[in-house]
Amino acid sequence: MSTAAPAHSMNPAASARGLAVRCRNVVKNYGTGQSVVRALRGIDLDVYEGELLMLVGPSGCGKTTLISVIAGVLDRDEGECSVFGRDYAQMTSAQRTRFRGETIGFVFQSYNLIPTLTIAENVSVPLLLNGLNRHEALRRANDMLAKVGLGERVKDTPLRLSGGQQQRVAIARALVHEPRLIVCDEPTSALDHETGHRVVELLKSVAMSGNRSLVIVTHDNRIFDFADRIAHMDDGQVDKIVGSAKELYGPNMQPGSPA
Amino acid sequence: MIRTFLIPLLAIAGMLFGIVVVIRSSQPKPPSAPVVQPPVSPFTVRVAGSGIIEASSENIAIGTPIGGTVDKVDVRVGDRVKPGDVLFTLDSRDLRAQLAVREAELAAAQESLKRLQSMPRPEEIPPAEARVEAAKATLEDLQNQVAIMERVQDPRARSEEEMSRRRFAVLVAKGRLDEAAAALSLLKAGAWGPEIQIAKAQVVAAEANVKQVQTEIDRRIIRAPIAGRVLQVKVRPGEFASAGALATPLILLGAVEPLHVRVDVDENDAWRVKAGAKAHGYLRGNRDIQTPLQFVRFEPYVVPKKSLTGDSSERVDTRVLQVLFSFDPKDLPVFVGQQMDVYIEAPADSDKPSVHSTRGEASPATESPK
Amino acid sequence: MYWLALKMLFNDKAKFFGIVMGVTLASLVITQQGSIFVGILGRTFGVITDMNYPDIWVMDPKVQFIDDTKPLTDTKLYEVRGVPGVASAMPLYKGMIRARMENGLFQNCNLYGVDDSTLMGGPGEMIVGKLADLRMADSVIVDLEGATDKLAKPNPVKGGPKIPLKIGDTLELNDHRAVVVGICKGSRTFQSQPNVFTTYSRAVTFAPRERKLLSFVLVKAEPGENLDELTRRITERTGLAAYTANQFKMLTVNYFLKYTGIPINFGIAVSLGFLVGTLITGFMFYSFTLDNLKFLGTLKAMGTGDSMLMRMILLQAMAVGVIGFGMGVGIATLFGVSMRETQLAFWLTWQLLVVSGGAVVIICMLAAMLSVRKVVALEPAMVFKG
Repeated sequence: MSTAAPAHSMNPAASARGLAVRCRNVVKNYGTGQSVVRALRGIDLDVYEGELLMLVGPSGCGKTTLISVIAGVLDRDEGECSVFGRDYAQMTSAQRTRFRGETIGFVFQSYNLIPTLTIAENVSVPLLLNGLNRHEALRRANDMLAKVGLGERVKDTPLRLSGGQQQRVAIARALVHEPRLIVCDEPTSALDHETGHRVVELLKSVAMSGNRSLVIVTHDNRIFDFADRIAHMDDGQVDKIVGSAKELYGPNMQPGSPA
Repeated sequence: MIRTFLIPLLAIAGMLFGIVVVIRSSQPKPPSAPVVQPPVSPFTVRVAGSGIIEASSENIAIGTPIGGTVDKVDVRVGDRVKPGDVLFTLDSRDLRAQLAVREAELAAAQESLKRLQSMPRPEEIPPAEARVEAAKATLEDLQNQVAIMERVQDPRARSEEEMSRRRFAVLVAKGRLDEAAAALSLLKAGAWGPEIQIAKAQVVAAEANVKQVQTEIDRRIIRAPIAGRVLQVKVRPGEFASAGALATPLILLGAVEPLHVRVDVDENDAWRVKAGAKAHGYLRGNRDIQTPLQFVRFEPYVVPKKSLTGDSSERVDTRVLQVLFSFDPKDLPVFVGQQMDVYIEAPADSDKPSVHSTRGEASPATESPK
Repeated sequence: MYWLALKMLFNDKAKFFGIVMGVTLASLVITQQGSIFVGILGRTFGVITDMNYPDIWVMDPKVQFIDDTKPLTDTKLYEVRGVPGVASAMPLYKGMIRARMENGLFQNCNLYGVDDSTLMGGPGEMIVGKLADLRMADSVIVDLEGATDKLAKPNPVKGGPKIPLKIGDTLELNDHRAVVVGICKGSRTFQSQPNVFTTYSRAVTFAPRERKLLSFVLVKAEPGENLDELTRRITERTGLAAYTANQFKMLTVNYFLKYTGIPINFGIAVSLGFLVGTLITGFMFYSFTLDNLKFLGTLKAMGTGDSMLMRMILLQAMAVGVIGFGMGVGIATLFGVSMRETQLAFWLTWQLLVVSGGAVVIICMLAAMLSVRKVVALEPAMVFKG
């Protein structure tokens, strides 16, 4: 199993680059004793630099748990998980927090924008966490918002924006401090097809510069086309890693059909 | 932006308001400063007391020996007097009338004495002598007739009866002459001695009467007993001045150079005052009017203190030792009767904490200092 | 981040108002009730405050508070004067006297007799007239309260306002005639009786007959003299109790604290204010934190450390604390100032601000502690649970 990831790789270009995420035999259990839920049962997964990896699979398959482990917000029980060569297990909680703030950008299903702040302020949060002063942080946040097409609305609060706009703000927030890894949890599930498509398009076009890596958890097969690789999970294990949606579901798969 | 910060601004304003009010209300009130500065003791270890200025002769309350209506007041308050100067006179018209009577009586006595002394009257002597001469002449005539008759021997011419009648006539004439001569010598002898003595005694008695009335009159003229100053005149012409000790003296007299200060020292502090101690007095109401005081003496009897309240019945609250000090009133605008705050220097060793009872008035009477 | 924390707080208007209201309520109740409490206590020693000329008050050792006069013999004054370090000592008569009003009613007054010559201890702030006018025959000075209310003359028109006393009016004090020569400012007394000032010798003639009349000896210390030392020396030498003005105030206040129900009443009010404020603030703040929990979790996931989050919450708590405190103090002060002309006792001291501020800090800390516990326990992984 330890060599499974490279073996399944359908992207030779990616294999030439360095590893962004390296998971080996990652196990995560919730609860104890009789009621134990084995969420991850030995995951081996690599994410390469400059790669857009989608994690797909049925509900309860452990996608969210895995991405939490990768993002460093959840401790795995067994195995090894390192991001850019650094193993979370070797870091203190404070180091892990700082590492997250510096290295990882987050996009959430429900955007998680702070409704009492303007979108510029929301976007400036990662910069502030990295020690920039307020003025500089706001300036860069405005620039980033302009890049996602919201330069006119920097003073608005998130609730005055549409869902797609909010998610764009979230993307801006995830990117503004130029993290090397971006994790997205169901970025399109609250959006209609058209908007979701545009959001992922934007995400890919803005984020995929340099050798930044994206991990997107989704069950929205309409956006599978954007993936470099797709890792399919079931019952706490990655059962296959494919290069495209066609490989996963066969050629007769129609966009919009349930995953 | 302004809306966002309205509440915090309001809050800051509220806090500032509170602080301002705190500062304003914690500012001390203007001190109830004394209108005049109180005196400050020149001595570190001292006894304080209140003193009353009095004359060095002590204040002499002039009285009258006899009650009577005042006729005339000869002095005014503040006058300086010599011993014997008339202060005031009582009405003495009754005595003056009496004096006239007495003087008349004296004159009468004197005149009757004079009359006795100037006897006999010279005008009475010649008639008496004349009467002697007349009696002599009558006798000689009768003797002549008898002699003539005897020379007649004729019995017829000479009647025996006639003869004896004539002889008796001579005897009578002789007797008349003797009588006249005796009357003359009586006349010439003048008044009888004892009578003169009586008259003299009457004169002396009359003189004494006059003097008595004069003395009475003089007693109604009140005079200064010493040299000094009239401090108070409480008597005016027409008023009745009663004899005896009065609450308000008719006239208050005292020697004012030097003045004395009678200082009341609380019996608890009395032991700390030594004879000859230095002292300094400050006039009530102006501490700039001050003078060093010379020790005069202690009043050896500790008296009950009177609160100087001016109340009609003053309250006794404790006993005080009175100490007399003197000072030269020159250049000091002070008056007898004014109060002074007096500080008396006490020996340094008397400053040790004394063993007072908690309540001062319970302590026993203080010993009289030497 | 701190700035964002504040903006998060301020922009959540409903919650923000709620929390600030809670703190405001607490600080308002504490400050206002405290001020009234201090005001009432302050009235007990208002005379000592007003008469701030003397450094030391000398009295009978058994005196428990200012109105508890146990007169001394007059010569005690001179004993005190004899104590080294005493620059001057003046008598003060303090007693009650009945004034007969024109309409036949009687009014109890506080009568003060100050030294005849220096008038030391007389009222400091004259509104009309001069202190020196006390030297005039039968003269008295009446405080403003008395002149305008308690001792004022009844209006000849029925129901009309009382006619305030003015200079030249006469009073009948214990069957003695007294002429008003001045009106002074004075602190209201605890029993709200008018204060009448006159000279010592006149006071003792006005006063009911007693053997001893010297209530207090007012001492001015020599410059540079240690007052505590001097009070001890006076006590040693004379056997009398000597207190500095502040000690005498404390003596009086302690008496009232010990023997009246005042502190209990106000203690209950202040505790209620504190309790209600704490509950409202704590609840609202906790609810604010819960509302924001998702975002706090997001921040935590995005790399905000626990200590930073804690400081943000503390800052928010402090912000509502400062704002609520400011509002409460402001409202309480406004209340006090607007009531200045009434009978109400209101005295805001810096100690009260400190106490009220301290209470607010405690309230905010309690509220923040709940929230901090919640946030520290927060798993950042929760952000990925749709």
